[in-house]
Amino acid sequence: MEGLDLHCRMILEEYEEALPRLEELKENVLVSLREALDRAGLIVTTIEARIKTEESLAGKLALKGAKYATLSDITDIVGARVVTFYTDDVDRIASMVEKLFEIDWDNSVDKRRLHQLDSFGYNSLHYICRYPGSEYRFEIQLRTTLQHAWASINHDTGYKSGIEIPREYMRRMNRLAGMLEMADDEFSRIRTELTDYRRRVHTLVRNGRLDDVLLDGDTFRSYLQARPLDTLNKRIAAINQAEIQDAPLSPYLRVLKELQCNTLGDVSRLIKRYEEDAYLLARHQLGNTDLDIISSAIGLQNICIVCILSTGGGKIGLERLFDVLNGHNSQNTALAELTYQQASALPFMQNNK
Amino acid sequence: MTTTIHENGNQLIAAFAGRLDTAAAVSTMEAVKPLLEAANKEIILDCSELEYISSSGLRIFLSIRKEAAAHSSKVIVRSINADIRQVFMMTGFISLFEIQ
Repeated sequence: MEGLDLHCRMILEEYEEALPRLEELKENVLVSLREALDRAGLIVTTIEARIKTEESLAGKLALKGAKYATLSDITDIVGARVVTFYTDDVDRIASMVEKLFEIDWDNSVDKRRLHQLDSFGYNSLHYICRYPGSEYRFEIQLRTTLQHAWASINHDTGYKSGIEIPREYMRRMNRLAGMLEMADDEFSRIRTELTDYRRRVHTLVRNGRLDDVLLDGDTFRSYLQARPLDTLNKRIAAINQAEIQDAPLSPYLRVLKELQCNTLGDVSRLIKRYEEDAYLLARHQLGNTDLDIISSAIGLQNICIVCILSTGGGKIGLERLFDVLNGHNSQNTALAELTYQQASALPFMQNNK
Repeated sequence: MTTTIHENGNQLIAAFAGRLDTAAAVSTMEAVKPLLEAANKEIILDCSELEYISSSGLRIFLSIRKEAAAHSSKVIVRSINADIRQVFMMTGFISLFEIQ
């Protein structure tokens, strides 16, 4: 590289010779991070690593080459980055990194703890680490997705330090940094509160306090974990000695809401009230066929059909049910008509007449 | 019973014609093998010429659905007649497939 003194050129030569070892270090760091995240069950948006390019290293040496005696004095020759969804995951991964690698605390920076009123930039955590047995140190940056977006856009402006930046631009970037920090905190709070909510729901369901639990996607899933439709499905399967194929019941959430189920208690009562007639409907439909495979949605589907017909919903109500389950389709009218005719022979319909 | 498969952009279209019963199941399963290996595709099961489906046929559709999910593909059942729609309803399969 032109313009570099002999000392800097020697470091560059050392870099070229070290490249295979640096590549090995980079891969080892990536594997260690990925394995540790998998073990902890932590989902992140990005794990990446790079070796500083020769051009970038030459630029660094041109600016402050005298500061480094050898290549191993440069702490970011290998760099890794983990980008998280949540700000509290940064802390969890930080403590993971502290256990995985030796940390060079003198050179590591937690910008989140600086918190100077006039500090420029957005908080992030930079660790300088050493992989056990390696002669080179490397840098790990830990950021949230929002921090990463801010840092990437800021980098794109081309300014390397706060001093170079026009005041107005700096003020506006700081405004955004503050806003994103608040957004990060709010995302973390939402996650924590959702986790608490799910735990509370799970406890209420387990204790049978179903009337205290409003019906929504989370609570419905939690309720279904107790498999309240298994008995009915097994009875239906026994009609033709059928195998039961697991099917998602989430499409029924909307149906149950339309049937005025507001709590899990309402759902439980609906099942109890209509399960016998739902079984009779299945027996009437399947009894004359040799269909020996059913889906686990059949029990709830038939309960909804019986409920609609028992409460005066008629063919229009059935057509609406099939529209919700299967998308609007002209054939749903004929299917509703057919289902209505089949059900007409059953006792619960006789009682309605 | 015949099964023909053709590709249209990102779609793999399997057209079934005739009666998909136990007797036809083995040859149909063999015919749909290319669908089981398709990744990131939209798989259309065109039933406009399909007259009848038995449990064996439902199992074939189910195998296609399972493999599609494992290969990030999507399955759409298209143009089923009223009898087959009734079979889908009576077995609860209506919730398992996107039916157009």
